[in-house]
Amino acid sequence: MSSSGASSGSHGIPRTLTACFLVLLLTSACATSSPRGTFILLPDESGKTGAIIVSGKEGERILTEPRQAVRVAPGIPPGEPFVLSEKEVLAVAGPALEALPKPPVLFILYFKHDSTELTEKSLAMVQDVMRTIRIRAPVDISVVGHTDTVGDRPYNFQLSLKRAKAIAALLIAKGVDPSILEITSHGKDNPLVPTGDQVHEPRNRRVEVTVR
Amino acid sequence: MHKRFAVVLLVLGSVLTPGLSAAAQATIGMVRNSAGAATVTRGGQVLPAAAGTKLEAGDLLNTGSDGSLGVILRDNSTLSIGPGSRLILRSFVFSPAEGKLGLFFQLSRGTLSYLSGLIGKLAPESARFETPVASIGIRGTRFAMKVDE
Repeated sequence: MSSSGASSGSHGIPRTLTACFLVLLLTSACATSSPRGTFILLPDESGKTGAIIVSGKEGERILTEPRQAVRVAPGIPPGEPFVLSEKEVLAVAGPALEALPKPPVLFILYFKHDSTELTEKSLAMVQDVMRTIRIRAPVDISVVGHTDTVGDRPYNFQLSLKRAKAIAALLIAKGVDPSILEITSHGKDNPLVPTGDQVHEPRNRRVEVTVR
Repeated sequence: MHKRFAVVLLVLGSVLTPGLSAAAQATIGMVRNSAGAATVTRGGQVLPAAAGTKLEAGDLLNTGSDGSLGVILRDNSTLSIGPGSRLILRSFVFSPAEGKLGLFFQLSRGTLSYLSGLIGKLAPESARFETPVASIGIRGTRFAMKVDE
């Protein structure tokens, strides 16, 4: 019954629907408004600028300059990139940029050969780790153990697990809540300094503590 | 074509990855700061997003007209959304020891800023943001975007 009502126009197509098709042809949007996007590449804290690739259905743009931006709307290729002033960047995304957390802090603690005992320098660094944890609280901490390449994989996996657990125990003894610690062991698989197999390398005997 | 494939692999990866522990596997990051109306929707439940709230793949982040939210992800990348935003953390895989890395987030409205972390360093081509008008591939390091409905 609704179809008979709809086809009551001169040639079976209601006038409003025809108008809507015209609008659709002109703007490629009828019932809903069309979304638009603005994409801005920014330098990081150290002042370095990388690159982003903005891909729309109708084409892509690569941004490589500080504060370079591109606007994209549906149905047309992305516009020509342009550079925004710092003020203009804040006008587009100020509150989001203000809410961006500080990047996590990484500490690398070194161990004596085939041991879960820290080097003296690294033992002193544990104070800095604790200070950072207190300042940034609430935090979430990952403790990742590593070894150099001397010995076989299973042995080193156990050794770096023991190292990570030793550091976790040290932090817990100083008051860190065990539930915010995540302990992982990488054994000899992720050396900081790449070496061949069976190579003594003090810089690879380590636990990486990341305070987030 | 390749991109779609990568996304499928990512999703498979996140399902099949044997976890060290269930909790460590499920948590992909943590809310570091929030202001105004800010929520996490997980499995139909709406939770307040406060500092310390743990995030999982699949979570939907929403902010009201006065809201904002800052997040640190497990690969040490940081992300934030401004007022009136809607972001789905579609998938996130960070197992560098097994070479499994990937990030795929969707912003349907509002503003977002992002500073890339280890995924960006180790496998930049596996990090991707999607919006209704374009998707973003990251070659480092910081960017912002805004989607007007």
